This record gives sequence, structure tokens and C-alpha cells, in this order.
Amino acid sequence: MIEKTRHIPDGKKERKNQPVSHYLEAEYLYFPTTDLRCPAGESCVIDGQYVKVGELIGTRHGGFFDQPIHSTVSGYVVGFEKKVHSSGQTVDCLIVKNDKKYVLHESCVSRTDEEIAALTKEDYIQIIKDSGLSGLGGSGFPTYVKLETKNKIDVIVANGVECEPHLISDYKLILERAHRIIEGLTYAMRAQGAKRGVVAVKKKYPELYEVLENARHSFMDFDIEIKRVGNHYPQGWEIETIKAATGIQVPVGKMPSEYGVCVFNVATLYGFYRAVKRRMPITERFVTISGNGIKTERNFSVRIGTPVRDLIEMCGGYTENDKNKVVICGGPMMGTNLQSDDLIVTKTVTSLIVLDEEPIKTEPCIHCASCVYSCPVDLQPVQIMNAYKERDKDALAVLNVNKCIECGLCSFTCPSKIHLTETMRQAKRFIRK
Amino acid sequence: MNYAKQTAPYVRKENSTKRMMVDVLIALLPVVVFAIYQFGWDAVVRLVLSAVIFILGEVVTTFYRTKPHPSVKERKEKFKVRFKTLTINNITAPLVSAIIYALIIPSNLSLYVVAVGALFGILVVKAAFGGLGSNIFNPAAAGRVFIGLSFTSQFAYTGIDAVVGATPLGAAKDALLNIPNLLQNYTVLDLFLGNIPGSMGEISALLIIIGGIYLFARRAADFRVTLSTLVSFSVMMAIAAIAVNGNVVDIVVYQLLAGGLLFGAVFMVTDPVTSPVTKPGRWIYGLLVGSIVAFIRLFGSYPEGVVFAILLANIFVPLIDYYKWSKNRYSVKFIVGYVVALALLGFIVLVGLGGLN
Repeated sequence: MIEKTRHIPDGKKERKNQPVSHYLEAEYLYFPTTDLRCPAGESCVIDGQYVKVGELIGTRHGGFFDQPIHSTVSGYVVGFEKKVHSSGQTVDCLIVKNDKKYVLHESCVSRTDEEIAALTKEDYIQIIKDSGLSGLGGSGFPTYVKLETKNKIDVIVANGVECEPHLISDYKLILERAHRIIEGLTYAMRAQGAKRGVVAVKKKYPELYEVLENARHSFMDFDIEIKRVGNHYPQGWEIETIKAATGIQVPVGKMPSEYGVCVFNVATLYGFYRAVKRRMPITERFVTISGNGIKTERNFSVRIGTPVRDLIEMCGGYTENDKNKVVICGGPMMGTNLQSDDLIVTKTVTSLIVLDEEPIKTEPCIHCASCVYSCPVDLQPVQIMNAYKERDKDALAVLNVNKCIECGLCSFTCPSKIHLTETMRQAKRFIRK
Repeated sequence: MNYAKQTAPYVRKENSTKRMMVDVLIALLPVVVFAIYQFGWDAVVRLVLSAVIFILGEVVTTFYRTKPHPSVKERKEKFKVRFKTLTINNITAPLVSAIIYALIIPSNLSLYVVAVGALFGILVVKAAFGGLGSNIFNPAAAGRVFIGLSFTSQFAYTGIDAVVGATPLGAAKDALLNIPNLLQNYTVLDLFLGNIPGSMGEISALLIIIGGIYLFARRAADFRVTLSTLVSFSVMMAIAAIAVNGNVVDIVVYQLLAGGLLFGAVFMVTDPVTSPVTKPGRWIYGLLVGSIVAFIRLFGSYPEGVVFAILLANIFVPLIDYYKWSKNRYSVKFIVGYVVALALLGFIVLVGLGGLN
């Protein structure tokens, strides 16, 4: 309809009441040595070597950064195998056979408060670099690169909005680890020399506000505020979160650090806590298996490296009908479509959604402009679509197609069911040529 | 089990073009019922005739526009392929146009003329441009203008004062001052309820407003175009009233309620296919329609002012939507431009009616 679409039926109400199963029984765990950002990688262990939880087993090499890989279980290294990564690529994975003892590596000893108080900015960067922490909101961008910024950071925003439908991993994390997230936030503030910290959570979850508010009282030395922001989509998009949490308007295409803001996902801040206080990398995360193509929908807390097939099996497998299954890693608005369920839980895997394929019949565009009204970056998807049909590069450039964040709202809202978001992607590829 | 190939997003909103069209039909229902109540079989016959022509024209042209793959040779197979491309929108969309078209013609117009206008609307204005979503002119308005210009003699409005013309507005040109007298024949309440002669659907302001409220509440139409049309029109008329030293309230209210303005503003300019796609663009579009209607009423003699205005404004839509300046944000430039344009047009009205003398 002709209106600004902001709300998407998210199914979180049902999902958040479901219990979380802690799954530690995976026989083999897989650690990708390459991924989308890091085309090369190597392992520093040999077949048959015994590794422990938190032990360095390899490094991924990106263009301008390295990411260490840590084992999340104890057991023996048993070789390599090709598995599917959350980006949809097939990558080489190092396999560790789980002995289910979960022996901690010797290096994982907690830092005392005095030690932490003595840390400098360089120390923090080194600690985060060694822990292999990356943006756990989904970007997977190495966190230490963000810390290295030359700009003066005044305020750190903890993004706990998680606006994608179906996902509840940040929700569960805040509920269970609020205290540690706030502690992680204080470390991030110290590392960046920021005066203020703001935690953004959705208005409709007062329970999150309360646990965070309680946790905040343990850190009265720091200026931390818990901010309840809007419930709409895409509130979790960096720029909207900054706007809602601090009132600072960052133009699209600019780095938030230029405006004195730095955004971390709450899961990343939990990673800060683990790295700084415990000297541990992230070893576990919440994963939701949902969708109408799966027999029972369940939430899991699993070790990173767990094959998703194990989890699907625990959910009772796929529903049996003759429909094709759409397998999605991530949320239903921006997730990646997989052509195999041989997926490995990496740091950025938040959920697996399996949907029965429904044919979507497209009608002609009637210029209702719902897509124009709904676009969070003020683009005109319908005009971009027409310009792309004409292969008009000038028009596409003037219409700023590169600003598109691919949030999916234009396709979602179209009454004629035209797949505008895919057209935006094609148009972006086209003008890059 | 097979894996389906799709790209994000994987969920869609529960809406459809069909629902939008059906909403417009529901909004039109009270007006249609009232037309039938007022004009009886005359209305029914004209409504049915135009519906049949519009739907048949749409279905047949869509049917033959589809080109089956060359590998499909057999006649029966070709028919099947073509048949599959037809959707419910090939019924609802022309039905909307047909009902609007039937409601803006007088109840006693000869059936032959009704058919010619309907054929022109669906075949030339809609189908020739590529069917649903591709037409640049409003089919109903174009059909009405076509017969209005080519069968002028057929538009003999019986039972109405000759001065009054199509609707009681023909009189308004040189008789803005005469409006208080006119109001003695037709009170504001009569105009509001539809107790006046005129085209079938245009006469009851109340029912049109009810339909409009439904449309806007269901978001099946954009209120911005309607609002902009009515605001700019009222401003023009107020200035005209000042220019001739008339009663501003009387003249504005009369001009708003009489004639096809309200019907056009609610059901015709809101047609999304022929509207611009940005919010400021829709305001500009409404301004164009509203001011052209005002100009035709003040300085022209055509009773079809509203449909003319819509067709003329349709021409400007690609210009308003030109990618180099179309923006969905209200900028200061836009607001200033809108106000200045309104003031300028108002000034022309003032001069034209001798308000400066």
C-alpha cells in the first residue's frame, strides 16, 4: 500500500519464549581457514596434534589484516574438509575431533583489575587483535581495525537492536550476559578514550532495559546510558542506531568515527569482555533454527565450529512435502541463500531459516511509490529499476544506487511483488563495470 | 529435497495490487449505488456497458500482447500460454477505470457515444501504451475528453437551466458574483448531499468524501495529491472571490462542492499509475491539477475542466519524475517553490479577473 513500511512481522515473540538448548555434543568441529574477507589462510597445527579450548590453530589473511583462528573445543586435529561458510562460499575447514572434555588452554587466565587498569590503547588493540574478535552483528569486520582509528571518539554505541525478523541471539545474550556486556563496553570506552557509552535496545523489550539498567549500576564510574529506541526495521542499521541513540546524523557513506561515534554490536562487546578480562576468544554463540520448512523451531547455544546439520537433526529435520526448501543463513530480510545445508557455525552465523518455497507472481509496476516512501536511505527504487532497464549509467549514478544498503524493504513492501532489491544489486554491479 | 534459489529478502508484505484495486472499487460503491438510485436504469446500463467494454478490451489486448515462445506451435498450446498470463488485475483494473468513466458522463448520454469513449479509453489510451502500469494518461479521463470534444452536440443536459451547463458550474465563468443567487436554487446542503443535476457520480459530495476516507484509511490512495489539488484550487478560488469582491466562503465552498472537482480529486488524480513517484512530486502534481481546474472554471467554458486538468497534469509527470531533480525529501527549495508557484498563479487570477483595477 502507499505508505512508509517500517514494521515487519518478526515472529520474535514466539521465539524468545522458547528455551535455549546448550549443545556441546558435536563430534567434529570445523574451522574455516579462509572466508569472504580473507582469501588466504593457514593452520599452525599438524594432524593428530592435541589442541585445547582457546588455543591458536591458524590464521586467516585478509587484504590489510590478519585474523587468528582459535579452537573452541579440546581434541585432536584430524585434517581438512570443504564446508559451506555463512557467505555461501565453500571453504577449507580445519577439523578438530571433540574429546568433550573442554580443557582450557594455559594462556586463558583472567586478568586482575590492576592489570586491566594499566592497559594502554595499544595494549587493547593488541589484545583484541590476538583474540580474533570481529563484528558479530554480521559484518565480520575485524574489530581491532575499528579501534585503530585516528579520530577522537566521544561516544560508543552498543547496538542491541537486532531488527531483523526471526533473530533472537542478541536478545538472549543481553538477557543472560548483561553485566558482562556492560563491562565489555567499559573496556571499549577505555580503549577508545570515549567519555560516554550508550546501549541501544528496542522499546518493546522492557526486560532488556531492566537487566541492562541493573548491570549499569555496577559501573557508576562510567557515563553509560541505556537508550530505548524504536521497534521498526532497519533500526539496527548503524546510521539509524546512532541517530536514535545519540542524535548524531552520520551521512550515508561516511565513517561514524569521523563524527566521534563508534558502534559495536553487543555480542562484540561481550567479546571485549572475554578478550580483556578472561584472555579468551569468543567460543560460543546463540543460533536459532526456524522457518516453516523445519519440524520444530529451536534455539541453541553452540560452540563455534559446530556443523548446522547436527542442529537440524535435533530439530527433527525438514518437513516432508514436495516443495523446494529455501535455506537462509541470517535473517529473512538480508540473509544469504545457501544451496546446501552443510553449513558451519562461524562467529557471524546468527540463525538458519528454512522456508518452503512459495512461487511469487510478479505484476506490472503501478507506480504506487511504496518503495520510494519506505526506503531508509531516500532512494527511488522504482526509478532505479526503470533506469537499469534502459541500462542508463548516468541516471543510475545520479539516483545514487550505490547508497543502497540492501535492507530489502523495497521488495518487501511492493504490492506487485517486484524484486526491487535484486534489481538494485544488479544495477550496482552494472555501474561498477 | 531440492534447494530453491532465491535472493534476499525472502519474506513479502501481505498486500497486493489486487487489494488496492478492490479497495478503490469498495470506495466507489456508495457513489455507484447513489447514481443508480438517482438515475435508475440509465445509470445501470451505462455502468454495465462501459464495464464490459473496458474489461473485454483489456483482456483481449493483454491476451494478444503475450507472445508465446516460438517453440509453442499448436494453437491450443498458444491459447493456454496466453491464458495463463491473465490475472485478476486484468479484471479489477479496467473495472475501476470503467466505473470512474461511467460516473463522469451524464446519465442520458447516448449509448453509442458511451461505447466510443470507452473504446478510446481502453484501446488507445491504455492498451496501446502497454497495458496496466504503462499508460501515461488516465484512461477514464481521456475517454471522457475524447467524447466531450468529438460529440459536443450529444451533451445536451436536459432538465437543467441552460446557463448551468454540464453541472451547475457552466454559469460560474462570468457569474462568480451570481453564486449567492445560484445558492438560492441549490443550497450548500443540496450540493453536499447530491440533490442537484449533473454527471452521475459527481453530484454527492458526502458519498465521495466517505469513499475518500476509506481509500486513505486503507492507504490505497495517496492523500497528498488530493490535498494538494483541493488546497491549490481553494486558494485560486479565494483569490478570485477577492478579485471580484464576492463572498469568499460562499464562492470557495460552492466551487469545491459543485462539479466534478471532488470526484476527480479523490478518485482520479490519485490513480498511482499516472502520478509521480515522490512525495514532493505528488504535491506539485496536485498543484497542477488544482490550478488548471481553477483556470478552466474561471476563464474557460468547458464543463470538463477536471478531466482536462488531469490529462494536462499527466503530461508533466515524466518531467516531475526526471531523475536529475526528483527527490523524496521535502527540501526548503521545494516548499519555497510550491508557495511561490501558488502565489504567482494566484496573482494571474487576480489580474485576469481585474482585481487590480
